[in-house]
Amino acid sequence: MRDLVVLSGSSHPKLTERICRNLSIEQGEVDLAKFSNGETSATIKKSVREKDVFIVQSGCGHVNDNFIELLIMISACKTSSARRVTAVLPLFPYSRQPDIPYTRTGAPHLPSMGPNQISFDTAPTTPGSTSRESSRPPSDPKTDAAAPIHRAIGQLRKEDMPSAPPSPTRSRSSTRIPVIPMYQPTSLATNLSSLLGSFTPLNAAGKQGYKQWIAQSGTLIANLLTTAGADHIITMDLHDPQFQGFFDIPVDNLYTRPLMAQYIKEYIPDYLDAVVVSPDAGGAKRAITVADKLGCSFALIHKERRQKMTASSDPNHTSGPSSDASVVSSPHPNVVLTAKQTMVATTMMVGDVKGKVCVLIDDLVDTSSTIVRAAKLLKDQGAKYVYALVTHGVFSGDAIDRINSSCIDKLVVTNSAPQEENVELLGGKVEVLDVSRVLGEAIRRIHNGESVSMLFDQGW
Amino acid sequence: MPSNSIKLLAGNSHPELVHLIAQRLGLEQSKIGVYQYSNQETAVTIGESLRNEDVYIIQTGCGEEEINDFLMELLIMIHACKTASARRITAIIPSFPYARQDKKDKSRAPITAKLIAKLLETAGCDHVITLELHASQIQGFFRIPVDNLYAEPSVLKYIKETTDMNNCIIVSPDAGGAKRAASLADRLDLNFALIHKERARPNEVSKMTLVGDVTGKSCLLVDDMADTCGTLCKAADTLLANGAKEVIAIVTHGIFSGNAAGKLNESKLKKIVCTNSMPVGDLQVKKLEQIDISATLAEAIRRLHNGESISYLFTNQC
Repeated sequence: MRDLVVLSGSSHPKLTERICRNLSIEQGEVDLAKFSNGETSATIKKSVREKDVFIVQSGCGHVNDNFIELLIMISACKTSSARRVTAVLPLFPYSRQPDIPYTRTGAPHLPSMGPNQISFDTAPTTPGSTSRESSRPPSDPKTDAAAPIHRAIGQLRKEDMPSAPPSPTRSRSSTRIPVIPMYQPTSLATNLSSLLGSFTPLNAAGKQGYKQWIAQSGTLIANLLTTAGADHIITMDLHDPQFQGFFDIPVDNLYTRPLMAQYIKEYIPDYLDAVVVSPDAGGAKRAITVADKLGCSFALIHKERRQKMTASSDPNHTSGPSSDASVVSSPHPNVVLTAKQTMVATTMMVGDVKGKVCVLIDDLVDTSSTIVRAAKLLKDQGAKYVYALVTHGVFSGDAIDRINSSCIDKLVVTNSAPQEENVELLGGKVEVLDVSRVLGEAIRRIHNGESVSMLFDQGW
Repeated sequence: MPSNSIKLLAGNSHPELVHLIAQRLGLEQSKIGVYQYSNQETAVTIGESLRNEDVYIIQTGCGEEEINDFLMELLIMIHACKTASARRITAIIPSFPYARQDKKDKSRAPITAKLIAKLLETAGCDHVITLELHASQIQGFFRIPVDNLYAEPSVLKYIKETTDMNNCIIVSPDAGGAKRAASLADRLDLNFALIHKERARPNEVSKMTLVGDVTGKSCLLVDDMADTCGTLCKAADTLLANGAKEVIAIVTHGIFSGNAAGKLNESKLKKIVCTNSMPVGDLQVKKLEQIDISATLAEAIRRLHNGESISYLFTNQC
């Protein structure tokens, strides 16, 4: 195709290769390197003057490095007089805004918890892994400085943080930036308030009555891409469809639903008897679309967070099927209730899955605790077989180990992020769908000025 | 009642420097947490109200692994303060990242320093304070005011206190730094020499020619940054071969990437002196000394906050 150049960032070269093969073009040459001081350098090898440039970079791996690299590449193309620069981000970085639970008055609800309390979505501990405390090198001066605090919250940390991943390939050795688990609002706040002590030694003298909040970086990311010179964005299965509105430039949000529907039709026996399940209320719409398209029945798992005055640690209190057959509540195995007034998590199932094949549908698996918890609940409710269909497989922390030991029988992800390593670790439990055809077709259509909307409905 | 007061925020790049600056200003650091999620995205939490406050965010560009992480931290922190309705946001970036990628030195290379300037503005930065930019023209990349401070006053003070000025000469290790070295020599009333590099091929310092006489003198090699330290070590060899008594290197930004530690330990430099604009971490170099520039930065913050002139700091040590 004339004047079309597809460049690859360093995050996911295999995907770019496939996209180029689908488009039958040669990949544009770009020289990506790091200076000895860590600064990213990018040089475009061949002229892009008056060309239509597409840069493929996924928001996986070392997210910030890859994102800055993308910005530098966009800027390099722009200063080299490219006619149009389109950023192709199959997995959009920073697409999830931290969902802070809000109180009725509108302020973020971040309860202060003592070291003896453990939040309800305590991450399941991985057998054999080491705690964060012991994984730190003893010579680290920061550890020494924070030692008393460390000891004080040692108990909490061990229980509350998903511990350091046992496989060295997944952990990044950064001693200067503290790592916290993703998107577990209450445990997050607990960790933060305790960690904060080690950062600002004088926080006890801080003002009363101000609740901490987490910065929402969505608009920033959108503005940074526009500032660097991006004219168009292609992405897939955005976590929040509203994210499109953060941009002043066109954003094409592609869907993997047709791919998933096709997988269900072709690989799940008697798929009409299967139940499509959304692992949380937020993803209900996504799952219902698939269920409607296939004509399957639908079920929903919902996690309630309620303040209860008297909480009991008696498991019978919240467990067991209630009299209503269709609404069943089940306790989360890790719920530990120690205080009089505390948050109670009740996981609710709406719909019947007894003896059925269940298909969990979600857009993103990160620490995998949501989907693993959902699968456990489905199995507890008598599900025969549990599929999990996920668009983006990030698998951070000890996600792989958790999935390996979970009730998920088959995990299906797309290659929006590199999956080779995960396939190796998970073996036959995981299958990878290829999105390069969808992306390639979108690039072709955008380049030729054709409509992209048919890609939303039809499988490729 | 929140007033227009100084709020000092810090990223993860250089906590020691922030601590020193906070001490100088007699302030507490604001409650802020900068973390990374397990998927390596950066998260910033703000623990106190910044509404209508004068916010100063200190983040230096450093770290072979983390330089882009620190950059994203800075951008997200600026954006967070902006959405928290801060009155004014000043980014204090002692060592400006990507400062050396400031020109299109070959076809289709990015001008990343300009990109960084635009990103900072986009995030919501109102003012930038930096120290000894590699090229002061980078100030022109910004549409917001940039105060480029100099380490020269602190370096002057250090030289006066530690060296015998009677037998000294200032040497610039390359032609690009001649102006900086000449200015220092003028202010110290010392002689000045220059080393000229002839490059047969790029990335290969082939031959060094000394312009000036250094016989029997102790040489002060002056440069704005020391990265892999190849040039400095070679320059030291050249000077000693030309009869210099001893060689001391004084740089503003000690990046010391790659095998800098090994090179410095093996080199014939008597001492290497840098400012604390960047953390040196656990660099195993015995002959390394640091000049504290927190006073200059703290005074810049105080003056900027009170609307006083900054230019006094360009020539005077505080």
